[in-house]
Amino acid sequence: MLASLSDVTKRYGRTDGLSNVSIDFPAGQVVGVLGLNGSGKSTLLKLLAGLLFPSAGKVTVFDGPPRQNRAKLVYLGENDSLWTWMTPADAETFMKGLYDDFDVDRYRALLDSLAVPKRRTKAMSKGERGRLRLAMALARDAKLYLLDEPLAGIDLLSREKILQSIVREWHTDETILLSTHEVAEAEGLFERVLYLREGRLALDARAEELRDQGRSVVQAFREVLG
Amino acid sequence: MKGFKTLFWLEYRRSGAWAVALIGSLAFWAWALFQARAVDPVELSSVRTVLLVIAAAVGALVPALMIGRLRGETRGGQYQVLLLTPPSGAAHIAARYAFALGTAAVYFGILGGLAWWVVEMAGLTVDASTAAQLVLGLPLYVVGTTIAPILAWTVLLTVFVSAYRIAGPGWIPGTVMVVGTPFALRWLVEGIARAAYSLPGWPILGSLGISEGAYMTASPDGHEPEMIVDGIVHIPQEPLWIMLALTLVLLVIASRIWREVEA
Repeated sequence: MLASLSDVTKRYGRTDGLSNVSIDFPAGQVVGVLGLNGSGKSTLLKLLAGLLFPSAGKVTVFDGPPRQNRAKLVYLGENDSLWTWMTPADAETFMKGLYDDFDVDRYRALLDSLAVPKRRTKAMSKGERGRLRLAMALARDAKLYLLDEPLAGIDLLSREKILQSIVREWHTDETILLSTHEVAEAEGLFERVLYLREGRLALDARAEELRDQGRSVVQAFREVLG
Repeated sequence: MKGFKTLFWLEYRRSGAWAVALIGSLAFWAWALFQARAVDPVELSSVRTVLLVIAAAVGALVPALMIGRLRGETRGGQYQVLLLTPPSGAAHIAARYAFALGTAAVYFGILGGLAWWVVEMAGLTVDASTAAQLVLGLPLYVVGTTIAPILAWTVLLTVFVSAYRIAGPGWIPGTVMVVGTPFALRWLVEGIARAAYSLPGWPILGSLGISEGAYMTASPDGHEPEMIVDGIVHIPQEPLWIMLALTLVLLVIASRIWREVEA
């Protein structure tokens, strides 16, 4: 198993961000992490990335604690977290110097395909910054990708480019967890969907099973979380 | 240390402008020292000494502010990016600290040169060995005993505050450290005072070829000597070792916190 959560609870003071959740993630899946605001999507991804530690339960990534294995996973946070002075060339220096699995040629190809301008991030639009961050993330040769709201607040054309890049760069031995509110647009990507409600796992289903039942991912979203 | 070079480059890109501005400000201090006017030479020396002390304070403050910018990165999300990078917490702390300390060392080295210049302007002639002590020895002593621990304390403060940000308000650990520091400082000063001169002091002027009782003098315009250095000044070496040890402890704690922090 690539990653797993076993009876995991994460508390923020008196509030449960995630409550008693157990999930396994085998290799080679594109998993949609869906839910309303505050449902625990970001908490789940941060726990897997090692940015948060569970209040109870156990999180395992590559058979060990996530923080110890952080070099093997990719986490793309929901925050617009690049330094304002950074250009795509600076980002390349940063990634190349810190990650052994960073592929420079792949990064440059991604910059081209995602149409990322060569200026500082301060002078980029939110969509352009989002595309740059995605290029940085997908240019790594990791086995686990945790993408938290990569489509949030981004225009339609940029969203399409991002989704196309994810599809193009995905290899069958890699697992991608993608949280998004753009359920309809991303639906075609998902092999498996997790529906979270108020910190609990409301439904864990294969997208194909839903379709066999005559339901789309969006319909199930409305039924389970509506 | 894996990734140190890239992290040091990152520090340079983040705070390089601050470092250049700080070192560039020495031109202002040189100008101010040259422009200082007073009625009598003793008063003039006092004015110039005050200017040097203010310049030294600026040299401590700006590198500390460079380090303190981590707080903004916690809010901006860059801290998350750094936490997830493969290099250890020690590498992150070392890079951040090394850049700030290196900037301070360069600044204080040049400031030492300005101190030498002030001595020259006062009409005192110093030999090469004295000059070397003013430009290198004394600044390094000042950096080692004061700037190095101040910057390590700032690193620990910012990492400590950031560590608490996820679970609660960061001002709580910040207040604990700021309020607790004067007490810790008092114990430290008392300890240093007790330990001072247990080891032989470093003869600041003694190794300059100026024997005890001799005077360092001469007015370039041929007047009688105006200042006599009577005796050898010994600087205790214990404060330097104690403060360097404290610096190391603070940095190790900061590295440990970095490993445990949530974001």
